[in-house]
Amino acid sequence: MKNSRAFLLLALLCAGFALAQGPGERVPSVVMAPVGNVQVRAGASTEVNLDFRIGSEFHINSHTPKSELLIPTVLKLTTPDQLTVADVKYPPGQDVSFPFSPDEKLSVYSGDFTIDTIVKAPANAAAGTYPVTGTLRFQACDHSACYPPKTIPVQFQVTVVKK
Amino acid sequence: MKRNALVFVALFVAVLAMLASGKYLDRTRRHGPLKLVGNVQGLPAPDFQLPSLDGSKIKLSDFRGKAVLLNFWATWCPPCKVEMPWFADLQKQYGKDGLVIVGVAMDDSAPDKIAQFASEMGVNYPILLGTDQVSDDYGSVDSLPTSFYIARDGTIVDKMVGLFDKKDIEDAVRKSLNTIGRPAPSPQQSQAAAAVKTPVKDTAQ
Repeated sequence: MKNSRAFLLLALLCAGFALAQGPGERVPSVVMAPVGNVQVRAGASTEVNLDFRIGSEFHINSHTPKSELLIPTVLKLTTPDQLTVADVKYPPGQDVSFPFSPDEKLSVYSGDFTIDTIVKAPANAAAGTYPVTGTLRFQACDHSACYPPKTIPVQFQVTVVKK
Repeated sequence: MKRNALVFVALFVAVLAMLASGKYLDRTRRHGPLKLVGNVQGLPAPDFQLPSLDGSKIKLSDFRGKAVLLNFWATWCPPCKVEMPWFADLQKQYGKDGLVIVGVAMDDSAPDKIAQFASEMGVNYPILLGTDQVSDDYGSVDSLPTSFYIARDGTIVDKMVGLFDKKDIEDAVRKSLNTIGRPAPSPQQSQAAAAVKTPVKDTAQ
């Protein structure tokens, strides 16, 4: 509940910034919702869902855009020795054709999207709370212009508990 | 609970303040004395020297006496792709009248990939490899496509951010071609006349 309220407020602030800009000077925003307490037993794994919200009027390329020239959304995570990221599952993109290119469908994310990660603690992991840090790289467009690729920080904590 | 309500009210006020400042800046940008990004009509186009795809160095001032359409674009920008064949048509149509279209690629792709892309788009005008410095000189070009229409005397007559209709682009080209011999406007005139065109409105998703 607390997290969703923080997410909402963060998104509201970003929307305010975006609306305050003049035409062609908007700044595309992607914000990450705070991640709640994540616990994993040593020797086991757990799913961590990372929720992102894209500013209204913008879309970003999915992880698998339809052209190699388009810049995909990519999550990169770094873990301490006590944890590993076993998998990162991106949501499928929405195939959308835009007025600037009505004959072509682009694979994009817009609104809210979630990247699911699997975090694993080795059997010998010491109990404790560890930070997982990383970045989300994306490239946004609106209905008439595109914006340079951008990277935002990603961070959450994982608590390892003994079996 | 009371504290949460206070935080929410503070944030709400902050958002309102941002909206109000945005409106104020937008209004002053059009009519006021502030010299901001986009308020460029009548200003001299900053000169630069950039490498072209064929390895030669090209200066903007090499084209003095010609009307220049300076188009910032990138291979990862789908709206930019729409304009490029139009630009090729306009170069064919108005080249004899003194129009030179210059593309400035603002991405990190290798030059051969940019060249291949430009070839696929039917580009018949020089493509230069952009730098952050040139972007900064032109008011930090953060939205693509962004085009500057430069008259024969080197002053900017129009700026378009985002994708426009072909007709709007052609009108701006003609405007830049027809300014020969026109005296450069005073700074006051420039600021009063300055306005950044908004992107096409009939392109909602």
